[in-house]
Amino acid sequence: MDIVVCVKTNPDLQMVRVKDRVAVTEAVPYKIGDLEKNALQAAVDLRAAAGGKVTALCLAVGNRKAAEDVKVALAMGADEAVVIDDPALAAPDQAAVATALAAAVKKIGACDLLLFGEGSTDNYSGQVGARVAEILGLPQIGYARKVEAVGGAVRCERSMDDMLETLEAPLPAVVTVVSEINEPTIPGLMQIMKAKSKPLQVWSLADLGLDAAQLAPTREIVSNLAEEQDRKHILFDGSAAEQADAFVNALIKEGVLGR
Amino acid sequence: MEQVECIVVGGGLAGLSAAYGLASAGAEVMVLERGDYSGAKNVTGGRLYVKPIRRFYPELWDEAPYERPVARELVTMMAGGAHTTVEIASDRFTAGQPQSYTVLRARLDQWLAEKVGEKGAMVVPNMKVDELLRKDGKVTGIRAGEDEIGAQVVIVAEGVLRLLSSKAGLTSEPQARHHAIGYKEVIELPAGVIEDRWRLNPGEGAAHLFMGDCTKGMMGGAFLYTNKESISLGMVVGMDDMRRRRDGSESWQLLDEFKELPQIKPLVAGGTVAEYSAHSIPEGGISQVPKLAGDGYVVAGDTAGLSLNALVTVRGMDFAIASGYFAAQAVLKAKEAGDFSAAGLASYEASLRDSFVLRDLETARSIPNVMENPRLFTHYPQAIGRLLESVYTIDDQPQAGIVKKAWRGVRRDFMSVATVKDAWSMRKI
Amino acid sequence: MAAVLVYSEKVETARELVAGGKELGAALGLGVSAVALGPGAGAAASELAAAGADTVYVSEDAAFEGWPADAVAAGLAQIAELAGASVVLVGSTRRGKETAPRLAQKLGAGCVSDVNSLVAEGGDLVAGRYAFGGATVAREKLGTAVKVFAVMPKTFSAEGASAGAGAVETPTLDVSSSVKVVDRRAKEGEHVNLDAAPRIVGIGRGFNAREDLALGDQLAAALEAVVGCTKSLADFEWLGEDRIIGLSGAKTAPDLYLSVGVSGQIQHTVGVAGAKLIAAVNKDKEAPIFAMADYGIVGDLYEVVPALVERLKSV
Ligand SMILES: Cc1cc2nc3c(=O)[nH]c(=O)nc-3n(C[C@H](O)[C@H](O)[C@H](O)COP(=O)(O)OP(=O)(O)OC[C@H]3O[C@@H](n4cnc5c(N)ncnc54)[C@H](O)[C@@H]3O)c2cc1C
Ligand SMILES: Cc1cc2nc3c(=O)[nH]c(=O)nc-3n(C[C@H](O)[C@H](O)[C@H](O)COP(=O)(O)OP(=O)(O)OC[C@H]3O[C@@H](n4cnc5c(N)ncnc54)[C@H](O)[C@@H]3O)c2cc1C
Ligand SMILES: Nc1ncnc2c1ncn2[C@@H]1O[C@H](COP(=O)(O)O)[C@@H](O)[C@H]1O
Repeated sequence: MDIVVCVKTNPDLQMVRVKDRVAVTEAVPYKIGDLEKNALQAAVDLRAAAGGKVTALCLAVGNRKAAEDVKVALAMGADEAVVIDDPALAAPDQAAVATALAAAVKKIGACDLLLFGEGSTDNYSGQVGARVAEILGLPQIGYARKVEAVGGAVRCERSMDDMLETLEAPLPAVVTVVSEINEPTIPGLMQIMKAKSKPLQVWSLADLGLDAAQLAPTREIVSNLAEEQDRKHILFDGSAAEQADAFVNALIKEGVLGR
Repeated sequence: MEQVECIVVGGGLAGLSAAYGLASAGAEVMVLERGDYSGAKNVTGGRLYVKPIRRFYPELWDEAPYERPVARELVTMMAGGAHTTVEIASDRFTAGQPQSYTVLRARLDQWLAEKVGEKGAMVVPNMKVDELLRKDGKVTGIRAGEDEIGAQVVIVAEGVLRLLSSKAGLTSEPQARHHAIGYKEVIELPAGVIEDRWRLNPGEGAAHLFMGDCTKGMMGGAFLYTNKESISLGMVVGMDDMRRRRDGSESWQLLDEFKELPQIKPLVAGGTVAEYSAHSIPEGGISQVPKLAGDGYVVAGDTAGLSLNALVTVRGMDFAIASGYFAAQAVLKAKEAGDFSAAGLASYEASLRDSFVLRDLETARSIPNVMENPRLFTHYPQAIGRLLESVYTIDDQPQAGIVKKAWRGVRRDFMSVATVKDAWSMRKI
Repeated sequence: MAAVLVYSEKVETARELVAGGKELGAALGLGVSAVALGPGAGAAASELAAAGADTVYVSEDAAFEGWPADAVAAGLAQIAELAGASVVLVGSTRRGKETAPRLAQKLGAGCVSDVNSLVAEGGDLVAGRYAFGGATVAREKLGTAVKVFAVMPKTFSAEGASAGAGAVETPTLDVSSSVKVVDRRAKEGEHVNLDAAPRIVGIGRGFNAREDLALGDQLAAALEAVVGCTKSLADFEWLGEDRIIGLSGAKTAPDLYLSVGVSGQIQHTVGVAGAKLIAAVNKDKEAPIFAMADYGIVGDLYEVVPALVERLKSV
C-alpha cells in the first residue's frame, strides 16, 4: 500500500511567546506537528503490515528550512519526502494548501492512502484533509484513532461527538488521525543517519503546473491578538500543609469557599 | 559499525565552533546535541567578549545575532544596606568594533548551528550521547541509545558536567569546590525602558555586577546585562559555599531576595520573567584543565575547564569558541597526517598554549584561591560601604573632619594582618 | 432571495445557528434557511421551521445515515444552490468540522472553522477563532462569493429565537457515500458537562498512575468540584473525552479552576481562560501554568493534595 502523509512544519508552539498581545514567532524553530507525527507513525505501521512505500509531503509555509526540518519524517521511517517550496506561497489559505498538495499527490503518482493530522499545530483548522479529498474526489474518514488495511479498503475506528464508529472506505482514500492513534517513536541516531541518503525532492509551483494567481488567498486576517489576561500570580511558600492553608485561606477571602 | 570522520559531542559554542571549522574545510562532521536545539538550555550570564575571537572565522562575527554592545560597566558593592556603585564608561568599549556584546544563547547558538549546517555538517538535536566508546585506550566512537557510531576523532564539548568524559576517564569528575552555580532570569522590558533606566544611547548596552550582601557572604556575585528587549539578571555562588549553607533556603531564593532589594526592585519593575535557568560554571582555573587531547579525542570548552571568573569579568564563551577553533585546526592537521593519536592531535594543546586561552588562564592561576577567601565577599564590601557611608553621613552630632572620618574607617577595616595577607595574595591577579 | 443557510446534524446546535443566522441575516439583508438531513430528519425540520427559519430543506435520503462527510457535503452544496446561499453556517461538531471544508471546496468557497464569534461588520462577516493553539484569537474575513463558517456549538444562543412558521421543502438530492459503516454504537458511561461546572479540578500527567486519580477525586469532592483533565489523560483512556479541557475539549468558565499536575500548554489553558480564578499545583516552578495562575502551589501533588483535602475538611 503506497501512502502519502501530509506533514506541516510549524513554529514550536512551546516557544512562541506572546508579547504586546502578538504571538512572536521570530527565531522560533519549526518542527513537524504532533498530529502529523501520529499520521506518519500510522503510515509506517501500515507499511509494516501491508508493504508499500511511505512518502512525506510538506508544503513549506513561512519556514526557510522546511527541507531540513522534514528530514525528521524520513528518520521516522518515511521512504521519501517531497517539499513544495515556493516564495509565492508565503501565507497561503487552506484552499491554496489543499490545491498544491493535491497537485503534488497526482505528480507523486502511486497513492492508495492519504494521511493527515486531524489539524495542524498552529492553525488546527482541520480543513486541508477534507479539501484534498474533495479535489481528488476521494472518500474521507476523519478523526481515526485506529487504522488498518483490509483488502482493498481502509478500516478506521473513530470516536465522534456521541458515537463510536467503525468505518470502511475503498482505496484510494483520505484519512485524518487523532493523537490517541499511537505514540510516535523517536528516531534513533542510525535512523537519522540513514535518512540522510533517502530521496528528498523540492518542487516549486511551476513543477506542479500551478501558478500563484490560482492560489491567491481568499481570506483576510483582520487581527490576530492574544486576549488580555489579568492574573494575580501569587506563589505560596512553605511546607505542603502551610501552602494548603494559605491557599484555602485565599479562596475563602475570594469568596469562592465558605462564606 | 557505521563510521564518520568526526563526531562532536555537544552542540554548544565549543562544539559548534569546532564543527564549523571542520565542515568549512570539507571534513565529514556530525554534531550531536542533547537539547531540542542548540542553545535551548545553555546558560550564560550574557556577555561575549568578541575581540579575542574576531580573528577566528572573521566572516561570522559581523552578522552574529548580538543583543547590545556594552557601553557602560557598573560595579556595585553591597554591605549592611550601603551600596557603592562605580561606573566605568569608555568610548573605547564601543568604538569601531565593540569589545563585548550582550547575547542570548538561544539565539546565538541556534544561529551558529544553522551556519554549521550550511557548511555541510550534520547537526542532530534531541540526541543524547550515552557513552564514549573506547578500545585499548583509544576513543573510537559514541553510543546513543541503541546505536553505536564510530569516528576517527571525537570532539568532546559536553559542557561543564563532564558526565561522559569523566566516565570514560578522559577528565576528572567535577568537584563542587571547583565550581560555582549560576541562576539567571531573562526579564522582558521594552527597549526604551531599558535605555532610560540604564541611561543608554539607543542600541547600546550596560553590564552591571554586584558583590557583597547579595550572596550573603558566599563566594560569588550578581550580574545584570541589558539585551535588546530584556535584561539577564542572575547570580553566581560558589557551589561549596552554597552546600555548606544549612538554613534550608533554596538557592534560587537568593535571586528572588535580590530582586526585592530596594536598590534592585526599580530596575526590574514592570518586567515579565520570560525564562529561568540554572547552570554550573567551572572555576577551578588552570589547575583543573584536564589532558586536552588523547588517542582519538580532544576536549573543548567548559569540559576542558576553559573558563575564567575574574570577579568582574566572566569569560567562557570566547574560550569555548577559541578552543573549538583550535580543536578543528588540530583535527584537520591530524587528518592530513592520517594520525589521530595523541601525538597526531598534539598541536591542539600547543596552539591553546600559544593563544590567549591558556595564557589568560595561566595569568589568573591564583584567582581561584583568592576567590575562596570569604573576606572578599563580606569584609571588603562592608568596609568600602562603611567608609563611603561615613563620609557621606551628616547626623545630629558634630561632624569629624572628612579625612578623619575616612582615616578611622581605613584604619579599622583595611589595616590588619588579614588584609595585608589578602593584598599579598592578590598581587598577581 | 439570497440566504444564510444553516446546518447541523445536532438539532440543538442547528437551532442556535438559526437564531444566529437570523441576527446576521438581518444585518446583511439576507433570509435564513435551514437544513435537516438523515433518516428521521423530518422532526428536526419542523423544529427548525418553528425556530424561525424561513425555509427548511429536509432530506431523509438513506445516504445521509450517520452523516458521512462526502454525502452531506454534496447534499449541502445542492441545497445551497437551491437556496441561493451566500453564507453557510455549519455546526462545528466533529462531523460538521470534517464536512464544512469539503462543502467549501465544492462551492469554491473560503471557509473558517472552529468559529467562536461571528459578527457583521460593515456589510461583511468577521469570524473569530483561536490560533497558535489558543494563544491568540484570529479575526478573519472571507473574500469569496460564498462563505462557509463552521461555528462552535453555543456560539449563539437559541433562546432569543423568534417563533416562526417557515416552509418545509423536500428537494430531491443526488447523493451517495462510498464510506461503509461497519459498526456504530452510542458511547457508554456517564456524561459530564464541564461547561456549567462552577468549580473544576483539572488533572494532568503529573499523576503517575491511573489508581492515583482517586486523589484527584478526593480533592474534587472536598471542593465540590467536577474533575476535568488534559488531553493526555484522555489519550491514555484514564478518563473520558468529555472531561478534556482545552482547544479540542471543553471551553469552561468556572469560578475556580484548580489544576493539579498540569503543565499548562496553551492548548489546555485556552479552555480555562474564562475562569474567574485559576490556581495550580505543580512541582515545577517553571511550569507555564503558573504564568497564568492567580494562586500557585509549587510542590509534589502527592503531598499537596492530601494536605489540601485535610485543610478543606475544616472549611
Ligand atoms: C550563570 C552563568 C554566567 C556566565 N556568564 C558568562 C559571560 O557573561 N560571558 C562568558 O563568556 N561566559 C559566561 N559563562 C560561561 C559560559 O556560559 C560557558 O563557559 C560556555 O557556555 C561554555 O560553552 P560550551 O560549549 O563548552 O558548553 P555548553 O554551552 O554548556 O554546551 C555544551 C552542550 O553539550 C550538550 N551536551 C551535554 N551532554 C551531552 C550529551 N551527553 N549528548 C549530547 N549533547 C550533550 C549540552 O546540551 C550543551 O548544549 C557563564 C556561565 C554561567 C552558568
Ligand atoms: C492540535 C492540538 C490540540 C490539543 N488540544 C488539547 C486540549 O484540548 N486539551 C489539552 O489538555 N491538551 C491538548 N493538547 C495537548 C497539549 O499540547 C499538551 O500536550 C497537554 O495539555 C499536556 O498535558 P499535561 O499537562 O497533563 O502533561 P505534561 O505537559 O506532561 O505536564 C505534566 C506536568 O505535571 C507536573 N508534575 C509531574 N509530576 C508531578 C507531581 N508529582 N506533582 C506535581 N506536579 C507534577 C510536571 O511538572 C508537568 O508540568 C493538544 C495538542 C495539540 C497539538
Ligand atoms: N503546509 C502543509 N503541508 C503539508 N501538510 C499540511 C499542510 N497544512 C496542513 N497540512 C495537513 O493537513 C492537516 C490539517 O491541517 P489544517 O487544516 O491546517 O488544520 C495537517 O495535520 C496536515 O496533515
